[in-house]
Amino acid sequence: MKKFTPILASATLAMSLVATSMSATAAESYVPVIVKATTSEYWQTVFLGARAAAKDAGVRIEELGAAAESDIAEQIAIMENTITRQPTAIVLAPTATDPLSGTVEAATAAGIPVILIDSAVGTDAYASFLSTNNYVGGQKGAEALAQCIKDKTGKAEGKVAYLTSLAGVESLTSRDNGFLDGMKAFPGIEVVDNRIGNNDMAQGLTNTLDIMSRTPDLVGLFADNAIMGIGAGAALDERGGNKPCLIAFDADEQEVNLLKDNIIDGLIVQDPYMMGYAGVWFAAAAGHGARLPKEIDTGVMVVTPSNYKESKFAGLLDPKKRQLGSFVGE
Amino acid sequence: MSVLQTSELNKQGVNVSVIDKLSQRIKQKGVPVETFVVLLTALLWVVLSFASPYFLTEGNVLNIMRQVSISGIIAFGVLFTILIAGIDLSVGSVAALAGVVVAKLLVLGLPIWLAVAGAMGLGIAIGLFNAFAIFRLGIPAFIVTLAGLQAYRGGALLASDGMSVSGLPKAFSAFARGEFLGIPTLFWTMVIIGLILHFVLTKTRTGRYLIAMGSNQESARRVGINISKMTFLAYTLSAALAALAGILLVSRLSVGTPTAAMAYELNAIAAAVVGGASLFGGRGSITGTFIGALLFVTIANGANLLGVDPFWQMVAAGVLIAIVVYIDNVQKRRKSGV
Repeated sequence: MKKFTPILASATLAMSLVATSMSATAAESYVPVIVKATTSEYWQTVFLGARAAAKDAGVRIEELGAAAESDIAEQIAIMENTITRQPTAIVLAPTATDPLSGTVEAATAAGIPVILIDSAVGTDAYASFLSTNNYVGGQKGAEALAQCIKDKTGKAEGKVAYLTSLAGVESLTSRDNGFLDGMKAFPGIEVVDNRIGNNDMAQGLTNTLDIMSRTPDLVGLFADNAIMGIGAGAALDERGGNKPCLIAFDADEQEVNLLKDNIIDGLIVQDPYMMGYAGVWFAAAAGHGARLPKEIDTGVMVVTPSNYKESKFAGLLDPKKRQLGSFVGE
Repeated sequence: MSVLQTSELNKQGVNVSVIDKLSQRIKQKGVPVETFVVLLTALLWVVLSFASPYFLTEGNVLNIMRQVSISGIIAFGVLFTILIAGIDLSVGSVAALAGVVVAKLLVLGLPIWLAVAGAMGLGIAIGLFNAFAIFRLGIPAFIVTLAGLQAYRGGALLASDGMSVSGLPKAFSAFARGEFLGIPTLFWTMVIIGLILHFVLTKTRTGRYLIAMGSNQESARRVGINISKMTFLAYTLSAALAALAGILLVSRLSVGTPTAAMAYELNAIAAAVVGGASLFGGRGSITGTFIGALLFVTIANGANLLGVDPFWQMVAAGVLIAIVVYIDNVQKRRKSGV
């Protein structure tokens, strides 16, 4: 796949050159959607949204991306090949902040609008940026945790801890900071511990057990991504007995199972489907010259064991069921 | 490290003269590195039981037992490849692949025994292939298993489309969470495997052959040891135990993840080496490897219980490896009279 994409791209390029010379139309009318990695559920959901928008907006899209999120060079190569083909506009989820800046600037200089989704780049030469506000997500996590503690014990008081999946990752740091600042609204709750799990589910499990050994009267736990959420959930399930409240980021299938089993008390759910959907609409609009807002928050929602069956969450937890209604503002 | 712990002990009021005598003895006669690591681990347990009121609680000891089981099982397998002067860098990826495969088979509705047998079969096949590439094709073990580290991880990602595999039967998760006579089943599993392998290594001809081969492959061949059989045995055992550990990990987490067991090969090698195994082959033991694995688990557990910065925890583990290997080298130099 990794090596195949450029070959595919150059083959299509050759064909498009032939087509152009024959039909005398100018640049191709299509929108490439370039994600961080094609091999994850999250990015597949972005593609699902992009496909729906392609149908609704009547544009042709192309789904591109490296096999692994760590493959920055591959994404730069995909961008360079794409720019050569002069598409209508590009939807890009940049894998790294600074290394992708050059290609984004190059696209903009070539007159191709770039719609960024999910993550930022180190330049402001782009048309629009649609992402989750991770800081707000962390704050909502703090509120959900306090609410759960209050529901269980009658008052929002006690000791809580949080699990960080990886140190030094901007989106995770924002979530943690949002969580810590959100907790300041609840003076009765004290954040006593933080452990880093190296994005390893087993370590998330171990850390949770150790946190609970150290703080036997722990009332709440916040996990800042799906890996930590599942690890913490497995720990609470294994341990049994009186369990603290657990709020976790994302909506991986196993996290939803744990939510249904009342082991996870709340999921902070992002909206990758909307990033893909709105991203392609924005790309089409920008391609036609529409002026767009520079930044769009695609929103985060809190899903709990009591509300996950509601229709508005069904499509968030299982993107295949997603049905969008009219947007009337929030 | 040892200096720090000695002073720590002084504070606790432990008899200093014992340590003096001990260090004199070490200076005069030298102790095997295994003994040193056993003492170090014991010391750490004593210090931690004073430093944290939660360390010696029943719950925490059970946690440590569960944690050491999976890393211990992987390390036992890797030890066999180290003994014959080889290495197996692919065990973490094999564990992830076997875990994803067992989860996929279970989700497809296969009975538990069949799903486990399938994943174990895959592990054994990988081990045979590794041994084939090393022995028959003559590719260095380091290269073969480094390639495996990448390829089997890729296989795990492909088999799962890069997503975690959930929806496993509760009966499957029940195994790793269960207890027998108050001891976690995971720990029993590791103890039984450890005892068998210890017996093989110390009491059977196969064990002596493995060690002889690791000490000097050429002379082992000359005295008629079947080098091919020993190579296949070591690498198949390593991959099979990695697969088993991967399956147990899925049982414990109730989900198969392609990114599981990342870098576990390094932990396994570190456990074996700290437990007295020589990377040049011919030396190492199951008990030493177990203590090595236990030492690393204890450091991580202790750091969590004391709230030590996780970055310092990594530094401590690294420093420890360096110290132990240094002491081992000093011993060897003294013995050979350099």
